[in-house]
Amino acid sequence: MSVASELIRGNTETIILAQLMKHDGYGYMVNKAILNMTEGRFELKEATLYTAFRRLEDSGCIVSYWGDETTGARRKYYSITDLGRESYRLRKKDWKTAEAIIDKLLSEGEGESI
Amino acid sequence: MNEKLRNYIDSLFADAPQTVRAVELKEEMFQNLMDKYNDLISQGKSEEAAYNIAVASIGDVDSLIAGLSEGRVELNQSSRKRNALFISIAVALYILSPVPVILLENTVGLMLLFVFVAMATGLLIYNGATREKYVKADDTMVEEFKEWKQNSRQKNKAVDAIIGSVWLIAVCVYIVVSFMTGAWHITWLIFLITAAVSSMIKGIFMLKQ
Repeated sequence: MSVASELIRGNTETIILAQLMKHDGYGYMVNKAILNMTEGRFELKEATLYTAFRRLEDSGCIVSYWGDETTGARRKYYSITDLGRESYRLRKKDWKTAEAIIDKLLSEGEGESI
Repeated sequence: MNEKLRNYIDSLFADAPQTVRAVELKEEMFQNLMDKYNDLISQGKSEEAAYNIAVASIGDVDSLIAGLSEGRVELNQSSRKRNALFISIAVALYILSPVPVILLENTVGLMLLFVFVAMATGLLIYNGATREKYVKADDTMVEEFKEWKQNSRQKNKAVDAIIGSVWLIAVCVYIVVSFMTGAWHITWLIFLITAAVSSMIKGIFMLKQ
């Protein structure tokens, strides 16, 4: 796994919440959306995806239900709750803060040198 | 290829506990992998390549599956102890209830007998009604069945306790009324009425369920 993936992994739950903010989705649907949005550069492992789903569900951020597909097997859908929406906003704010701090710390030239 | 994926996931879950949660997770994973596999095929990948990509995308499921067996609940020991205490007190009261009659040899002694019996019966009913319901140890079907069985048995117990107390009260009423009026030839009808009442109680509970 590349270093970039490691950095992204810390935000797996926020990324999933962002997908579910748009509409309900099942595992592969969410992962495919992530793959498409990153033009094929990033995709979650199944194990990571389900672990995140379970943690989000346990904390009440999302709820799950089985779809009623008439053809083929049933899919398990996830839907974001109000708590999930609130959590998403907080996590996004945290990310923005962290992003700004890291940007500052990593900037070259400006500021005091050691 | 469908079977091959199914077999692969079965092998991943070989050591997982047989819980509802595990079965659901397995089904969910299989469905998503099938979606992915079909998608890859429609993009022009060969069956072999699609299978390999799908399987490679699963990642490390060990911790995920290990998490399935967490959250087992210990059966409540203190509730079992309380249960035993209440029942033994009630039984002791039943056994001791004739003592006042033997000692006092009058109606006060007889009254005390009924007080003892009433207390013991009350304890049993209270114990049955407040007993903790069975807590599922995990999500397996066996545990779900146990919970269901325990709950239905508890309902029956409540009915039994009520009917039991109705009969005891009837015996009390019969003896007291008979001694006071001396009308022994007619007071036995109380038992017929009691039988009707207890059948009615059973009927009402059945309707409620």
